[in-house]
Amino acid sequence: MINAYILIMMKPGNTDKAITAMRKIGNVEKISVVAGEYDIVVRVHVKRLENLLKVTEKIQMINGVKKTTTQVIEKELAL
Amino acid sequence: MRIRRKYLFYALAFTSAIIAAAVSAIDAKIINDVITDDPWAFGVSCFVVGTFVTLIIVLIFSIPLKGKSLGSKIIDPSFRRLRLVRKEELKYHTLAGIGNAFLTIGYFFLLSMFGDPSAVLPFSQIVILYLILMESIVEKNIPTLSEIQSSLIVTFGAILVSISLTGTLTLESMAIVFLVINPAWVLFSIYQRKLKLLKIDKRPNDALNIRFWNVVFACIFVVIMVNIYDLFIGSSHFLAGITASITHFGWVALTMAVTFFSYVFYIRALGIGKASVTQAVRASTVLFAIPFSLLLAYLNIIPPFSTDPVMLLIKVIGTTLVILGIVSFALNLVKAYVFINVKTGVPIEETMKKLWNIRGVTRVTATAGPYDFIVKIRTRTLVKGYEQIIRKIEEIEAIEEYKWESVLKEWEDI
Repeated sequence: MINAYILIMMKPGNTDKAITAMRKIGNVEKISVVAGEYDIVVRVHVKRLENLLKVTEKIQMINGVKKTTTQVIEKELAL
Repeated sequence: MRIRRKYLFYALAFTSAIIAAAVSAIDAKIINDVITDDPWAFGVSCFVVGTFVTLIIVLIFSIPLKGKSLGSKIIDPSFRRLRLVRKEELKYHTLAGIGNAFLTIGYFFLLSMFGDPSAVLPFSQIVILYLILMESIVEKNIPTLSEIQSSLIVTFGAILVSISLTGTLTLESMAIVFLVINPAWVLFSIYQRKLKLLKIDKRPNDALNIRFWNVVFACIFVVIMVNIYDLFIGSSHFLAGITASITHFGWVALTMAVTFFSYVFYIRALGIGKASVTQAVRASTVLFAIPFSLLLAYLNIIPPFSTDPVMLLIKVIGTTLVILGIVSFALNLVKAYVFINVKTGVPIEETMKKLWNIRGVTRVTATAGPYDFIVKIRTRTLVKGYEQIIRKIEEIEAIEEYKWESVLKEWEDI
């Protein structure tokens, strides 16, 4: 199992519609709208690295997405 | 389904509270009309019948439906089917079971000793403060000042709403509430939360199995304790309980079936929020119990609702405090991501441990990509976020740079 964060930069004015589209993508665990350098942080849970590529591709196809940065999780401590 | 985690938490805790209010109404009917002479018998029958009823419910929810189970579709997405207790769960189930057993025994001891425990039972709401104390001692996510304030508001509000002019307030009854019922509830609540946070077969643990096994373990401890009590006192409460389980099966099965759903939602809420906050929101049971009490009073099952203006005023103040406390919980929460780059030459594990030890950090992930770590933060105010988190991050020498990204809104797969 592979977990990853996809950090997304958006073009102004498309965030709401983009989030609605992202909520429909399978393997997306969490969507956070953030204030800072990025606009949206998505947490993804996939079986294989190949599937991560597919999810990233689907996100990149959404209207308004300017740039994505993928961070693959190697180790995690959580409550 | 992806919904906002906060909404899910409140939906679960309030659903649990509404069902718990219905349970208290059914219990009032049973104690007044069905099992009037021996509250111990009611206690034993609750667990004996409860084990059977809970087993049937969980088996029904285990029925496969389009590749998933019925329970996973309508109650808890983590549920697959009824299963045996795993080795790693055994300790937690034993402690939660002991908690549930002592809680029940304490309550029935109050009933058998004082008849009407209405005057002393409101003090069981102070369990919220016990939970805060426990979390401060044993858990990483120590409650913040605003959480303590909100908890105090809810606790005092709940005491005022449930306050009663009937019944007697004695040192012994207060001792049972403060030294038996409240600590037992803490045990019950903290260990059920630990169970919910466990991963079983790499999946989150499910509330249905947790509830079923809690009833089984509590039943075993209750049977042992009542038998010991019978042996010392020379009574026959256990036999009376078994008889009541057969003669009043319908009513007891109804209360335990409804209780099952209340606790399943409570356990799910425990898996999202802190035990103290979950308990505080669930204290709204006292508000939801008002319409049920009015109905029972109308049906002459319990004494008429007090129309004394002073009592009504106290209850209105209590209701306002409970609502205010819960609203302030809901509004005061800041979440953020911190993206971190570290210097070379320092072991990753060491930095990870230092980040994890910062109060307010709920998740530390070492990642491959432009950032070395992504840290998730949860704090009640931005000021605290700076004072307690940023300052601590800056103290870690290995950290080269970091970026704080406040979360404005969040959806989560449930």
